[in-house]
Amino acid sequence: MIALSVAAALAVFIVYTALAGNGVAQLRPSSLVGHSGDVTLVGAVVGPVTGDAYSHGGLRFRLKDIGSATPARVAVDYRGSVPDLFKVGRHVVVEGTLRNGVFVAKPGSLVTKCPSKYTPAKSSNT
Amino acid sequence: MADLGRSALLIAFGLIAYALIAGSYAAWKRRRRLALSAQNALIAAFPAVLIAALVLLLALGRRDLTFVYVWQHTSHKLPLGYALSAFWGGQEGSLLLWLLVLTGYAGLAVWLNRRSRELMAWVVPVFALIAGFFAFMLCFVSSPFHMQPAPADGQGMVPSLQNPYMLAHPPLLYLGYVGLAVPFAFAMGALLSGRTDERWIVATRRWTLAAWTFLGVGQLIGAHWAYVEIGWGGYYAWDPVENAALMPWLAATAFLHSVMIQEKRGMLKVWNMVLVALAFNLSLFGTFLTRSGVIDSIHSFAKSPIGGWFLAFLGLMIVFSIVLIYWRLPLLRTKTRLESLVSREATFLYNNLLLVALALTILWGVLYPILSEAVRGETRSVSKPYYDFFLHTFGLPLLLLMGIGPLVAWRRASLRSLGKTFLIPFAAAVMTGVALLALGFGSSWPGLLAYTFAAFVAASIVLEFVRGRRAAGSLTRLVSRNRRRYGGYIVHAAVLLLAIGIAGSSAYQTVRQRVLRPGQSVEAAGYTLTYLGSNGIRGPNYTGFRSAVAVSGHGERFTLHPGMNNYAIEGPATEASIYHDPRSIGDVFTSAQVVNANRGTIDLKVEVKPLINLIWVAGFVFVAGALIAMWPDAVEQKRLAARYAAGAVPAGL
Amino acid sequence: MEWALALAAVLAVVAVVFVARPFLRDPAPASDRLDELAPEARQRLALAEERDRALAALKELEFDHRTGKVSNDDYRAQVGPLRRRAAEALRALERGEGITHERVTAPEERAGR
Repeated sequence: MIALSVAAALAVFIVYTALAGNGVAQLRPSSLVGHSGDVTLVGAVVGPVTGDAYSHGGLRFRLKDIGSATPARVAVDYRGSVPDLFKVGRHVVVEGTLRNGVFVAKPGSLVTKCPSKYTPAKSSNT
Repeated sequence: MADLGRSALLIAFGLIAYALIAGSYAAWKRRRRLALSAQNALIAAFPAVLIAALVLLLALGRRDLTFVYVWQHTSHKLPLGYALSAFWGGQEGSLLLWLLVLTGYAGLAVWLNRRSRELMAWVVPVFALIAGFFAFMLCFVSSPFHMQPAPADGQGMVPSLQNPYMLAHPPLLYLGYVGLAVPFAFAMGALLSGRTDERWIVATRRWTLAAWTFLGVGQLIGAHWAYVEIGWGGYYAWDPVENAALMPWLAATAFLHSVMIQEKRGMLKVWNMVLVALAFNLSLFGTFLTRSGVIDSIHSFAKSPIGGWFLAFLGLMIVFSIVLIYWRLPLLRTKTRLESLVSREATFLYNNLLLVALALTILWGVLYPILSEAVRGETRSVSKPYYDFFLHTFGLPLLLLMGIGPLVAWRRASLRSLGKTFLIPFAAAVMTGVALLALGFGSSWPGLLAYTFAAFVAASIVLEFVRGRRAAGSLTRLVSRNRRRYGGYIVHAAVLLLAIGIAGSSAYQTVRQRVLRPGQSVEAAGYTLTYLGSNGIRGPNYTGFRSAVAVSGHGERFTLHPGMNNYAIEGPATEASIYHDPRSIGDVFTSAQVVNANRGTIDLKVEVKPLINLIWVAGFVFVAGALIAMWPDAVEQKRLAARYAAGAVPAGL
Repeated sequence: MEWALALAAVLAVVAVVFVARPFLRDPAPASDRLDELAPEARQRLALAEERDRALAALKELEFDHRTGKVSNDDYRAQVGPLRRRAAEALRALERGEGITHERVTAPEERAGR
């Protein structure tokens, strides 16, 4: 019985700590509108991909919602190191702020999610 | 040939379905021949699945692109070894691997224990239930034998998977994941048959230890691969796919400890049932996590063909476990109570609570995005700070307990005798802590605590061997007469090395990132790294570049060559360059990206990670310790055989 | 691929034969009853486990005492009760063995005679 009560106490502790704001909002392109300030954006890369992450203009691409067909697209302006697996269709996570309709990324914050090679291979590229 | 594969799978499915239905009926109605027949069906499933597996292997080896699966995961230029490893590269193949290992393990375990007919009568249908799901999926939902007209070339394999470590990592993990099904099936079989004795534990002890070892080593290899191949500079990112293997491993660790209490004191029977079910269901969940897109988004999970099936099956197994345990609760309750909060049983219990708490914390972190999306419509996720916090909160006391446990006697330990046995380790810890503080290690309190506790544990393990050797006469005699205990101590030593390695390479690492032109340098932890320049390179299926970085410092000079490979079909891949520093048993890790090819400018990232190589060394020590603990003991085997043979009452006598 | 289908057919036949084997080997057995542990045998098994547990605990206590983990006082305090427990388990086992010697058959079968 000691074991169960201690376990219960631990459970409460964990739930509390997790809910107490350790969570970081991961927004999708479709829900980005209206959020100001630093957020984390997660989406699938949509072409065309132009520019260079190390040049003045930065790397430019668009993101759409993963797994759903909503038309929402967000233009991203990125500088810094680009992960290997980055390409059109990849699921990526990037931090930054929405400014004048363009998501300006925090330099170096672009990360690809662990390869989604286990989900069905077809991914629409628009 | 695909027809052969499909037929073999259908035959396997038929055999498994028979084993399930006939086996359950035979166990319920106590029909001897039918139970034997069901057992045979389960055993026969393995060769059938093996044939299907060989068909797929052959297709992969020949690069037969008429197989959709082969087309999706290989290409003509892909070297043979990697083409074969594509077997587990995709969903269908990995389901097939699961089924292959499961039927192999199940057949062997059941055959080895065929004399315990009463227990096996129920164990067979439980195995068949699990195998049945995978066979069903392979036959009717997710077949590896879909065909197509042959295209020109395959889609190729992600370059980061073309690495020797990736040949070992998934199979080892699967041998571990699936291995946890064995103690689970025996435990549920024991509950179904109403047997409350330790037979199922005795029969599966080595299976559990082996599965646990495979799972641990598999994870270490995966971590090593991530470190050297992916090149982001780390070895564990708390990614759901990584956590998927860690959670069952933690639960299995708890289980391995608490069964010792059941064997020694006859208590915690209910807890052990719960733990083994938890370990197995976490293992299923882990497979499910990596096989469906559920963590990406609840929407992509719904679209994945197997997501719904997997969830339903997982739900079924969880309900099945809970119902069985609840039903047999009266049989499992014992009168034995914990005699003292200061006893080895108690420390095992604390160890269990911490391990399970850590596993559940990680589970919560993994589920959080899905739950928050379902509840709030907005995906929130937890990240490194969350996991680090709980790793410290639960992991550090666990580390300390590893040193305390062996020093405490069973049942009851008086504070006076504790004081005596604790003295030397405690002194070692205090001295280490003070010395480290003086040397400036106070910059990270978790790191300092980790090192201090490690000193305590190291001293306690060394003392165990020294005192034991004195009592037994020689080291060999000591270890061979107490294989489980001293094998366990060696495993603890491995965990100790792991903890020190992790603490050093995370709490005390130095990271620098700078854009450099040829001739420019950057400083990191006493090293000066000067970028000399880059040139292009060419390989069998890639082009790319390599830079030359001259490093000097701490009396050493060496050159590193970070760069990138650009694969024709699959795209770019970072090639990190690592120097293993004997002075700090650590690494100088570098990776580079091209900023301006004409001017030769690169973006160089340097990470100096002390003691990181202890992590890999720990893997070897871990295996050695586990092998010693598993080593068969003829005397013990005979005694156990006598105990259980005497108990059986043959029918018809 | 005809040979593939032929091979599959052979496989199927072999599988069926293997599954039917217990019935083919023993078409009319004296008893088709699955072995069942009689209550006395279960009791005896529990006692055997209890005995082994007590003996192992004694052995471990001796070892811990010799390596200095358990002090002389603690040893003296624990060895007595442990020895008694082991002796009790051994005695209970011997008594139990006596009983099952006479009642070797399961109750239903004796009633059938």
